[in-house]
Amino acid sequence: MTTRTGHLDPAVARALSALSAAAKQGLGDPALAELVVIRASQLNHCAFCLDLHLGIARQHGVPERQLDLLAAWEEAGDVFDARERAALALTEAITVLTDGFVPDEVYERAARHFDDTGLAHLVGLVVAINNWNRVMVSRRVPPGGYTP
Amino acid sequence: MSAQTTTTTTGTGTDTDTADTAAADGSARAPEHAPRLSWTERAPEVYKAMIRLDAAARRGLDPALYELVKIRASQLNHCAFCLDMHTKDALAAGESVERIVQLGAWEESRHFYTEKELAAIELTEAITVLTDGFVPDEVYERAARHFEETELAQLIAAITVINAWNRFGVSTRMVPGHYQPGQHA
Repeated sequence: MTTRTGHLDPAVARALSALSAAAKQGLGDPALAELVVIRASQLNHCAFCLDLHLGIARQHGVPERQLDLLAAWEEAGDVFDARERAALALTEAITVLTDGFVPDEVYERAARHFDDTGLAHLVGLVVAINNWNRVMVSRRVPPGGYTP
Repeated sequence: MSAQTTTTTTGTGTDTDTADTAAADGSARAPEHAPRLSWTERAPEVYKAMIRLDAAARRGLDPALYELVKIRASQLNHCAFCLDMHTKDALAAGESVERIVQLGAWEESRHFYTEKELAAIELTEAITVLTDGFVPDEVYERAARHFEETELAQLIAAITVINAWNRFGVSTRMVPGHYQPGQHA
């Protein structure tokens, strides 16, 4: 594989981190945040992001069974609860934007499990990981593992 | 604003009459939708972080080129609010109507754009439609021939940031049509 630029402006990197931190903190559910972030990274094929966030998820105690079945969460029975499923459906809709819009039923399902503040931060978190996915995939940053 | 959304009782009631007539003959526009969520009010610290990210990512980029990038990404992501904003900003900055209109079919209208702009637009598409695959080597390499490393990294960041605004715009269904050029500049 050809090498690509490793350059990322430090101010951009700091701003990306600040956005992720603000969204994650506002959501206030680190385990759910990791499920959301990992699912978006699967859809966007970001190896660096998957490697990092699988490590963080394990640190936050996300069950191994959830991590194993996340790519097929809709078929995974009761491995994910209704709130997690609503968040994952919204994550997918916001991530695969070029195929269409965010459907009303997906948005309304999320709105039944999250209040407006929770929703705003959940949307923010999906946006933030989509940023990282784009920055890492386009520069082809190799997976670097996770060090707690 | 269209006639049918105006139901004021001031004056002679002409607005309402116009709306009734338009509704009857099918010429009335569809009603304007409301946004789903005021995300900037519900997550002000997220909004502030986005503003800082936007400012950091656009540094060193040609503003005219960046408007083309923003319009093309917003087309691909179907962000009506973003299209309203960036087409108005581009026009106000002196961009031509032709070049804005032709962006939707740029592969068939290459002679409207410079090779550097085309490389940026192509990279924009690859980074925007990420779920269909990766960013192809030939697309990346073409961009790398026209942008030196620091500028290329900024272009990647800037493409990422318009994708971020598109995601907020579409998921919270922000309403197009009311933007004034330069309002968010």
